[in-house]
Amino acid sequence: MPAVETKNLSKRYGKVYALKNLDFTIDENEIMVLLGPNGSGKTTLLLILATVLKPTSGQANVMGFDVTTQPTRVRQILGVAFQEARGFWRHKPADILRFHASVCGVAKTERESAIESILKDLELWDARNKLFMHLSGGQAKRMEVSKVFVQRPKFAILDEPTSQVDLRGKRKIWAQILKLREEGSTILVATNEVREAEYLADRVTVLDKGNSVVCDTVRQLKDSITGGDIVELEIDTSDMQTLRNALGQIEGTVKIINASSNHLKAYVSMAESWVPKMTDICYQRKARISSIRVTEPSLDDVFLHFTGRTLRDGDT
Amino acid sequence: MRNVIRLIWFDLKPELKPPVWIIMEWAIFLVQVGVYGAMLSQLVTGIEDYRKFFAVGLVIMITFDMASHTGRHFVEHAHEGRLPYLLSLPISRAKLFLTIALQGGAELALMLAVPLTVTLIIIGNLTWLSVIAVVLALFWLGFGIAGLMLGLSFIAFKSSDLYTAIVTGLSTIIIRFSTVLYPIIFLPSYYESAARISPLSYGSDLIRFILGFDPTILMNPIYAAVILAALAASTLGLGVFLIQRLVEGVKSA
Repeated sequence: MPAVETKNLSKRYGKVYALKNLDFTIDENEIMVLLGPNGSGKTTLLLILATVLKPTSGQANVMGFDVTTQPTRVRQILGVAFQEARGFWRHKPADILRFHASVCGVAKTERESAIESILKDLELWDARNKLFMHLSGGQAKRMEVSKVFVQRPKFAILDEPTSQVDLRGKRKIWAQILKLREEGSTILVATNEVREAEYLADRVTVLDKGNSVVCDTVRQLKDSITGGDIVELEIDTSDMQTLRNALGQIEGTVKIINASSNHLKAYVSMAESWVPKMTDICYQRKARISSIRVTEPSLDDVFLHFTGRTLRDGDT
Repeated sequence: MRNVIRLIWFDLKPELKPPVWIIMEWAIFLVQVGVYGAMLSQLVTGIEDYRKFFAVGLVIMITFDMASHTGRHFVEHAHEGRLPYLLSLPISRAKLFLTIALQGGAELALMLAVPLTVTLIIIGNLTWLSVIAVVLALFWLGFGIAGLMLGLSFIAFKSSDLYTAIVTGLSTIIIRFSTVLYPIIFLPSYYESAARISPLSYGSDLIRFILGFDPTILMNPIYAAVILAALAASTLGLGVFLIQRLVEGVKSA
């Protein structure tokens, strides 16, 4: 049985569907990453699973408990780090964590050591007695995720856990998330950061406009793109369209898109045989190649492949 | 129940460090009764020692302010992003509502500790029985007003400024068009009709009845008790209904 399961889950705000007939599962002890642009329904799904919002229709179960009919049971096993680190402005981080740990049932004997350990690990120890309102954006965000790491719930929900956090802080948070999974927690992370998704995910669900577009492991998702290699070219030419058509005739070309006026992105099957043919064509047509880069697809490419839009396009 | 107490204490603690706002409220009350009340009692001849009547009125006004504050507190929870966190804690909704109500009650008790004691001393009725009876009546009134304000807070849910404007306007109307500061028998008929709608009239006159004021200048205490109980039950029910409909989003179902 999956740890988390939704069936035909929908959430409507007025006439707009934030989620539409979503079927979705998370296996036990898995890190599932929800990837999608702002407005794709990630946060709505998290809030429903956290029992903060109620679904318009459909069903959602967490560890066998229905979020609509058994919300208190669900709350007893979950911990949430919200997207916005806001709230207790006049409290101190150490006090907030003490309160959270006590309400969530962390044993009294373990509380102080757990709080100290997490505050130190996330470099908040020196700020433990500052008022929350005096923390920087990054500190406040680290504080928000600290609640989950102190609580160590069976099911952890983290909404954009490293937004506003510097790279060093991101790595520390990612390490804590992985450690939580090693201890047996099931984890759901929502993000629009490709690197975060690639680093953490056992599986990725790509959400777009409230629908699950695709769900698989990162490797499988990348392999599912026909033309697994991507050749990015910067070319100076007076007739880009004709050149693009010519490059499209090369064997192994799956598709070529214009990333910008002088920037082409070619999805090809065998870059090592494709690139020499491409350089020949450019030489014949007097097109000057200023840069060639061969990469494997990113999750942004996966999103583009399945939705026809980039993650950044989706934001707008 | 332990979590309810934890949540109340967690939210209340910063407001008591230091308790400036409570001490200021006590000081304002003492100045109002000691200076303004003393002057007024010499000017008003229709009632014997108007200062006593006035002191009860001030207690009611503080109760109204604190109950309004409970509604505002809830709007702030929503605006400051605290509400989703509270809703995700392992506390049932019923206990969460109880927490909000009890926190309002605890703040009210702190705020009224000195004013109520002083009022009972001025009236000459500082007994356990009067304290318990008055506290119960104030609790019902506060419950009703808090529920009313919770309901209003949802009307102005998207703007705390709008909520403040509505509550300020409403408090002006509800307090002035009531028997909080003037006995009903002295009110002109058009004004009396408005005062009979105000829940504060029933709250203030019920407490005055309990404290032994002349019943001929007050509204019927039985009606007052029934109306306050009905107000508390209906407005809190409305608050719970609105929370479920608007915060959790079942409205769209």
